[in-house]
Amino acid sequence: MYLFNQINLKNYFMKAKIIAFMAVAIFSASCSSDFLEEEPKSSLTAAQAYGSLGKIEPVLLGAITNWRNMQKDRAGLYTSLGTDEAQQGALQVTGDANQAGLDLYNGFLSQENQAIGQLWNDRWPVIEVAAQTIRALGTNTEDDSAKRDLLMGEASFLRATLMFELTQYWGEIPINDKAKTAEFGLRRQPLPLVYSYIIADLERAIEKLPVSQSNPAFPAKGVAQALLGKVYLYAPEASGHRDYTKAKQWFGEVITSGKYSLLPNYADVFSPDHANSSESLYEWQYTNNWPDNNQIQWQTGSRVLANINQYAYFGGYDLILPTQYCYKDKTDGGIWEPGDVRKEASIRYDFTYKGVKPTLPAGFGGDELDPHIKKFEDIRVEGKQSFWNSGKNKAYIRYSDVLLNYAECLNELGNTTEAEGYVNQVRTRAFGGTLPEAMKWSGLSQSQFRVQILDERMRELAFEGWRRMDLLRTGKLVELVGARNKWAKQNGTIAAFHNLYPIPIGEIKLNDEIGPENQNPGY
Amino acid sequence: MLNNSKNQLNILLTKNQIIMRIAIRYLCFLVVMMSAGTLYSQTITGKVTDNENLPLPGATVIVKGTQTSTITDIDGSYKLTNVKTGSTLEFSFIGFNTQSVSANNSVVNVSLKPSSQELNEVVIVGAVMKKGDLTGAVSSVSGDKLREVPTPNVVQALQGRASGVYVQQSAVPGQSGTIRIRGNNSLNFGGNPIFVIDGLITDSNFENINPDDVASMEVLKDASATALYGSRAANGVIVITTKKGSRSGEAKIQYDTWTGVSEFARTIPLMNGQQLFDLRVDAYANRYMDENPGADRAAYVNQIKSNGSTVFAPYELESYRTGKSYNWLDQVTRSGFQTNHNLSFSGGGEKGTYFVSFNYVNQEGLLKNSDFKRYNGKINLTQDLKSWLQFGTNTTFSRSKSNYQEGSAFGVALGANPLLPIDGKSTYLRYGEVFDQNLYNPIRSLDIINSSSRNRLTSSNFLSAKPLKGLDIRTTLSVDIADQANFDYIPSYTGQSLRNSMDGEAHHYRYSQFNYQWDNTVSYSKVFAAKHDVNLMGGFSVMSNSGNSTDVRARGFVSDDLTYMALSGAYQKDNAQLSSNFTDYSNQSYFARANYTYDGKYTITGTVRRDGSSKFGPNNKWGTFPSIAGSWDIAKENFLSGFEKLDQLKFRVGYGMVGNQNVDAYRYFALYNAQVSNNSGTYVSDNYIDNFDLRWEKQKQFNVGLDTGFFQNRLTASANYFHINNDDLLMLRNMPVSSGYKYKLDNIGATTNEGIEVELRGDIIRNKDFKWNVSANISSAKNKVTKLYGDATEIYNLGGYSNNEIQRTGNFFLGQSVNTVYVFQYDGIAQQGENLTGVNYGSRTVQAGDIKIKDRNGDGVINDQDRYVVGDLNPDYYGGFSTDLNYKGFALNAVFSYSIGGKRPSGTYESYMNSGGMSAAHTDLLDRWTPTNTNTDVPRAYYGGGRYTLGETDKAIQDASFLRLNALTLSYTLQDKVAESVFLKNVRFYVTGSNLFIVTKYKGYDPEGGDSYPISRMVVMGLNVSL
Repeated sequence: MYLFNQINLKNYFMKAKIIAFMAVAIFSASCSSDFLEEEPKSSLTAAQAYGSLGKIEPVLLGAITNWRNMQKDRAGLYTSLGTDEAQQGALQVTGDANQAGLDLYNGFLSQENQAIGQLWNDRWPVIEVAAQTIRALGTNTEDDSAKRDLLMGEASFLRATLMFELTQYWGEIPINDKAKTAEFGLRRQPLPLVYSYIIADLERAIEKLPVSQSNPAFPAKGVAQALLGKVYLYAPEASGHRDYTKAKQWFGEVITSGKYSLLPNYADVFSPDHANSSESLYEWQYTNNWPDNNQIQWQTGSRVLANINQYAYFGGYDLILPTQYCYKDKTDGGIWEPGDVRKEASIRYDFTYKGVKPTLPAGFGGDELDPHIKKFEDIRVEGKQSFWNSGKNKAYIRYSDVLLNYAECLNELGNTTEAEGYVNQVRTRAFGGTLPEAMKWSGLSQSQFRVQILDERMRELAFEGWRRMDLLRTGKLVELVGARNKWAKQNGTIAAFHNLYPIPIGEIKLNDEIGPENQNPGY
Repeated sequence: MLNNSKNQLNILLTKNQIIMRIAIRYLCFLVVMMSAGTLYSQTITGKVTDNENLPLPGATVIVKGTQTSTITDIDGSYKLTNVKTGSTLEFSFIGFNTQSVSANNSVVNVSLKPSSQELNEVVIVGAVMKKGDLTGAVSSVSGDKLREVPTPNVVQALQGRASGVYVQQSAVPGQSGTIRIRGNNSLNFGGNPIFVIDGLITDSNFENINPDDVASMEVLKDASATALYGSRAANGVIVITTKKGSRSGEAKIQYDTWTGVSEFARTIPLMNGQQLFDLRVDAYANRYMDENPGADRAAYVNQIKSNGSTVFAPYELESYRTGKSYNWLDQVTRSGFQTNHNLSFSGGGEKGTYFVSFNYVNQEGLLKNSDFKRYNGKINLTQDLKSWLQFGTNTTFSRSKSNYQEGSAFGVALGANPLLPIDGKSTYLRYGEVFDQNLYNPIRSLDIINSSSRNRLTSSNFLSAKPLKGLDIRTTLSVDIADQANFDYIPSYTGQSLRNSMDGEAHHYRYSQFNYQWDNTVSYSKVFAAKHDVNLMGGFSVMSNSGNSTDVRARGFVSDDLTYMALSGAYQKDNAQLSSNFTDYSNQSYFARANYTYDGKYTITGTVRRDGSSKFGPNNKWGTFPSIAGSWDIAKENFLSGFEKLDQLKFRVGYGMVGNQNVDAYRYFALYNAQVSNNSGTYVSDNYIDNFDLRWEKQKQFNVGLDTGFFQNRLTASANYFHINNDDLLMLRNMPVSSGYKYKLDNIGATTNEGIEVELRGDIIRNKDFKWNVSANISSAKNKVTKLYGDATEIYNLGGYSNNEIQRTGNFFLGQSVNTVYVFQYDGIAQQGENLTGVNYGSRTVQAGDIKIKDRNGDGVINDQDRYVVGDLNPDYYGGFSTDLNYKGFALNAVFSYSIGGKRPSGTYESYMNSGGMSAAHTDLLDRWTPTNTNTDVPRAYYGGGRYTLGETDKAIQDASFLRLNALTLSYTLQDKVAESVFLKNVRFYVTGSNLFIVTKYKGYDPEGGDSYPISRMVVMGLNVSL
């Protein structure tokens, strides 16, 4: 009996020990309080990203990269469609009705247009990063005030350039100012307020930005000055901010800085060997490898070449072709004057590839061997990479643009003769360094100058993205596009309300402060 | 005696100087108290029989709480000596309910009742429960039922088997389908239920589960059943109990195998070369006439059909003239082949059990180069360390390996130009002379390697202490470890490589996951005064999951010989892509459950669980999920005692709350991801706005049910009605982009979901030689959006390449179903001479032969306002039925599934109906509108955009109702005498046809499997044998 109980008791103690151990282990595990705290491991949180200057810089560079990415591929060319210098290829127009609407100015150019939706949707997230950066820098207390100023200048420039684009194309837009979130909400704001924000941002950028940046992806002082000049020149009258004097002043700052000059040879401007040259105030930086290629040649080249060899450097898929007005000689109703080297540098007329002159195969649209845009051809891909890998830098603001804009300001301020001098400076290079007397501009009236400068800008800056804004600010969009764009002319529906793009349906459906009643008229 | 014993205990305690807590001393005291009363002993004999009074040899008889046990002999009799008076004897035999009897007499005879399932215990969050204690809506499917459909996939085997469970098969070899329990609850996050395999919770990789290892599956459908999984139970819980050995001492060897061939179950009828040629002529001529009204159509047609055509390439004219048509699909498809081998050993002794199995599956898909292989090994052990202490493991290792055909090959081959001669050398396919860079030559695509392998180890290990009768302290540590590697190689000469200038691409993707779960429970059960049955359980659980992945794309190889195996040879350094991701998340839970049954008639269960999840914002990490349920077995009431044919009439009611946390970790943060651009490192916003208030999605579920059994349970029926209120739904919401963000993960709105489920089963004929039973189930669930954020009445799902296109599905409208379809209303085909000026179609072409759209709001303009909700995708009713006929050794078994009233669009069908002759075309286009064929719903042929297409209208929303014969099996089981003469048992041969037919009006590939890959039909021959 004693033995029995002793065994049993041993048993009880063991039970007790095991159970006590289990209890202690369970109890201790249940007490760890930070077990549920998990921070992201492969990404930064917003608090981390904007928490120090060392991280704000790469965040801002990421936003600048996204700004660059808007200029890539199809979307980088959308605003050039439906202008008087460029239009879609025939096969593309039959394919995507949304995209066709950009040239046809038909019912597909509506709030449901996908292409316009993309232009809108891509821009706002970059503005957000710039606005967050400006907010974070305002409270940053790190010692490196020079770095803080630099970042402030860059972020201010970035917000300004995107707001400028948005307001040019859509008119009244929301303003993203973190100090006034409660006051502004997501409403569309009146033009004077929108432009005053853009101007304030650019003034701050000019104050803070250095004359040159070692990484050309970051903007320098010159481009901010030129852009502020453009803001005063391009601002609609309704904004109350169009001011030729101020525009002239800021373009003048660029010219007198002595930092910029025209390259002697026009074709060199589009050569990959002359990236970030003295003529460039700012250009978007690309390479031949994804994700840093720009795919522009894919959109501007000819499908006939793509069918022959997909590594032919001027092949492509005919998204966008020059209008007849843009590729024909003056004598045939176009713009080109004899001797102007810009014609051959800008437009491809000859499709002979490796000695073979191609013909148009069955099933094509018909215009694949009409003149094509040449400026984005990238010889570096020839024979080894698809034209999809095209990746030359793309100009944002060139010095010749500044000279032509400056000339316009002079003309508007009544100084047409001096204005002609600046135009002739640009034209001298266009004619190979020596401007024939007959090609010199002189003795034009102010209004003659206004007409001719539009053509001169097309000759100098075709397909570089400024045409739509030039047409908008001069009020010529409906008239000139209706007459010169093949599809717009054929369809005959372009109207005054097309001076603004429609607010995309996604914004209208999701934004409680922009309803159908706030849509731009006509849509 | 009692006092004596107490004294000795006290003496010993002081002698050994052991300091223990008062509580534990008290526990010991209780144990002693109980053992003290059992000191008189006696010998007990008796006989164990089955329900038909036949002896049960090999049954186990245990004196409860001791190590004394014995096995019945050949005539079912047993003898136990030295049994203390008042002890409880426990009689058990596999396939029968365990029965306990007090040893008050020297002769104890027992008749065991067969159990409906072999095993009647399930492991729930680390605590063992009797299945009968699972109050609430539960559907059980035995392993044997699952195996009636020969498939290596448990999800597929479940189809049509349980009410309230909607399974959509996947057509891709080795891939699980989707499962919906009680329709849709969560809007965006997680539709699939969790699987609890021997206590281990898992929510992915279901295809690694071997159906042959499954003893039973319980589908827990309502909150009172699922509440113990509170936080993760919103989409239901499927509890899988795997097989275990028996303590009978008899070893069992089981071998199962099947082998079969498969073919496409359905094809889509596409035009041949001649038909497509005519379509293109018609399409081009129609456009030509639209653009040149009054022109000479015949002359134009003549031109495009002649040499030098601007529409047809010379090879197309040649094919047309010689009457040739080419089938590219044959180049990438073949007959499929599948085989499955399963070998298991099981058994056990007095102190433990074992079950060990091996499984091999090989499926060769219908697409060339697609296959799936799986190797499974499983070991389930239990062992008594002491009479009161047991440990055990359920451990499975699985390796699966699959190869799949490059994604575009099937679609491109199907949509290939039938006028284009088969040519394995061209890089791209053509219509006309236009090489389309999206149409990679499918024959070349076959050379692309896509492979994936996964190793998975799941192991659930418990230690269970039962220091007192009725008290079970159990701790379970489980791990789920998965390593996956995908290796792909794109040879340099394929279009995929050439187009992207990569000169060969090797892709490595590796994913590794470590998941552990630690459950600790204390449960206590006791019957007071023979009528009050009390079960209490409390516990604590932690779970942590760490995952990481590496993704590398390396490009540029001097030759294709080494494929993906030598990354060191990739020379396009600037064109390489690297990425990785590390993710951790964790859960912490406390739970308690109380179950009280009075007199076997009334049961009430209360459960509460408190869960914390790292996935939610700092303000709302914790949630509490209570439930309560009751049942009443009316059949046991005296006033029904006269109804002898009624065995069960159990009424159940339950209400409870469960939650859903099925979102990505860290998703309440706005994140900035590292990216490289132009050799600079950057951080780029992922376009999500942060939401620190993110919280649990909650479901309040009400369930009422009735379980009945008649005629000795030969006829059983079970019915449930449920109503679910879903609140704080987790939803990925499009933001107005002007805010600077595109998405927000938010708790938005509410939905309701209600429905009924009925299950019936009947043994219609039960003779010695002839047996026939049938079972059927039907379910229905209707859901409705009852609230969205603020006073919003709709949330649109935007898509398209720029996120500015309202999608036809995925929108949410207040007061409508969750799965609505939002489109224009088809208004017939415009006829010649019809006045079409009454409605402004914008820029769309609407001429004779084109689709007209109904101007629903009557404002004379067709725009967004004219779209409407045409219906929803949910079936009105769905379920399955099956029948078993047995005559002597022969058996015929059929399993059907059905779905009624569901709608579904088919993008594939629509694209083939959109053809203008420059892409593959459906034969329905043969009935297209022409000036002489005007009584049709098919619009005229047209090449070019700008017309309304089928997919924009409600006409594209097809009836996806179907009846499918999942499996038809004819089997023969050898008579025992014959089998035993060759030392075998249970020898069964069978032949099964799976997916033999489907009746449906749906025009896509399959009303369930969708469009991208057709479902196969399979015939297999199989053998089961045991030793």
